[in-house]
Amino acid sequence: MTLKRHSVVPLARLLAVMGGLIFVVSCSGGGSSTPTPTPTPTPTSNSVDLAVNLGPNGDYQNSLFTSVEVCEPGSTTNCTTVPDVLVDTGSYGLRLLSGAAGGLTLPPVTDSGGNDVQECIVFVSMTYIWGPVVQADIHLAGESASSASVHIITEGTPSPAVPSSCLPANNQGDMNSVPALGANGILGVGGLPQDCGSTCADASNGYPQYYSCPNGNCQITSVPTTSTKGQVWNPVALFSKDNNGVLVSLPSIAAGGAPTAAGSLIFGIGTQTNNALGTAQVYAVTPDQYFTTTYNGTQYPLSYIDSGTTILSFLDSGSLGGIECLDYAGLYCPATPLSFTVTNTGTNGTTGSLTFSIENADSLVSTGYAAFNDLGGDSGNGGSSDYFAFGVPFFYGRNVFVGIAGQTVTGVSNAPYGFWAY
Amino acid sequence: MKTIARVLLILTLGAAPAWAVLGEYESSVSLDTQFMRGEDRVTSAQGYKLHQITSPTGAVVTEYVSPEGKVFGVSWRAPVIPNLEKLLGSYITPVQQAAQAQTRRRGGSFIVRASDLVFVSGGHMRAFHGSAYVPSLLPKNVSAEVVR
Repeated sequence: MTLKRHSVVPLARLLAVMGGLIFVVSCSGGGSSTPTPTPTPTPTSNSVDLAVNLGPNGDYQNSLFTSVEVCEPGSTTNCTTVPDVLVDTGSYGLRLLSGAAGGLTLPPVTDSGGNDVQECIVFVSMTYIWGPVVQADIHLAGESASSASVHIITEGTPSPAVPSSCLPANNQGDMNSVPALGANGILGVGGLPQDCGSTCADASNGYPQYYSCPNGNCQITSVPTTSTKGQVWNPVALFSKDNNGVLVSLPSIAAGGAPTAAGSLIFGIGTQTNNALGTAQVYAVTPDQYFTTTYNGTQYPLSYIDSGTTILSFLDSGSLGGIECLDYAGLYCPATPLSFTVTNTGTNGTTGSLTFSIENADSLVSTGYAAFNDLGGDSGNGGSSDYFAFGVPFFYGRNVFVGIAGQTVTGVSNAPYGFWAY
Repeated sequence: MKTIARVLLILTLGAAPAWAVLGEYESSVSLDTQFMRGEDRVTSAQGYKLHQITSPTGAVVTEYVSPEGKVFGVSWRAPVIPNLEKLLGSYITPVQQAAQAQTRRRGGSFIVRASDLVFVSGGHMRAFHGSAYVPSLLPKNVSAEVVR
């Protein structure tokens, strides 16, 4: 683990140096007329390092990790830096294991009855996390989200017990430890500001996400969408600037994988010299954060890009001739590499084609490497249950922008629910 | 997908008791009208009929009923994963077993292919979707494709 981390650092420095070079070139290129001494404000540092390694549990391929500093609200000294937090463009808000945030006194978010708010999040895989919502100042590079609602994942057995309405399959797994989660937390920087929205602002909707537990009896409670003392927010949307989205930038890696990879998570889109859209195409998304992928003439309207998905999840083993791995359920093990060309279409009409490949997941994973651009698996069970989820393999060698719904990005229109650009 | 939609013979039969359980009779209904707080629309298609329950919060649960009156499939599209214990009934067991057997969260989707259940859970935070069907209960000449 130490060796792998050691190899990441010089790469990150190299990227920083390259970024500086690009900045210098663009400055001199723009100076053809008489230089005007325009006072430029000192730019806010808006970039944090991303590391692809196997994570604190040593088994998490294709996950993007960063460090997050959290402080007691208003304090600059009562702070802790949490390493190995998963960067997830498919969720919204910061969630930390209780042990990782230990040592800080973080005030609880309470409901209108004065009871501490607890939150339940269930993943597609039927696993879940549960624990209190607290307030903290979040610092990422030079950016800050003050008194932000943060979800603390209760490690060990929660008391009172998790309510049954939180658990759609009743006995699924609690991701309440580093071995279970594979990370110290999740930083959700996707295209929406809050992790629920207006539905959770009224408990009578019966939405099983926010609870309070007076007398040990957990009931669904109303939690407003306000930026403080309310629902868990995507911290980027709370920054005072660089708050309209993020750019995930990862280097190219070779087919067959790389031991590790290093890149950047950059805040803001078109707000500083390092986050211009440039030639990236903007694909606007639906209110549910989907766009349409077309393959072989069939449209898959529930497709998306997601750094929290570690594979290219697409089509299904059956329709691809039975290429499911024998030992890794849900992953593809083709005998020879397979290549696919698809077309993505945004709700704004942007269309672009894209080619990717997959290789045998058995062979890939057995390398012990962490970074793969050709790891695939099935999305459904055929026909209309299939879709395309462009997970981390898609991100290598690209600048992938995530535009947050309702925010303004210069040059982008017709994207009221946010967008991806690449 | 669009072809099938056009073939649907939409017969609105008005409000009906909601939410039967997978593998049980349509009359085993109403376990969870309260959870959905939804309106049920019953439509007929070739070889089966379906209940589509839409809640005020945007959750849509669809149940597929065979001519024998048995629920052979369910699907959902909802901001949170619906209560699968109630939706799947006894067919929840292979889903629970598969959920426990997982090693690492990958995102993407969660698929269970058991001896008499095919289950797919997909999507992401605030926008989940999925389906489940019982192959042995599929009506004659009806493809599993209709459960979506």
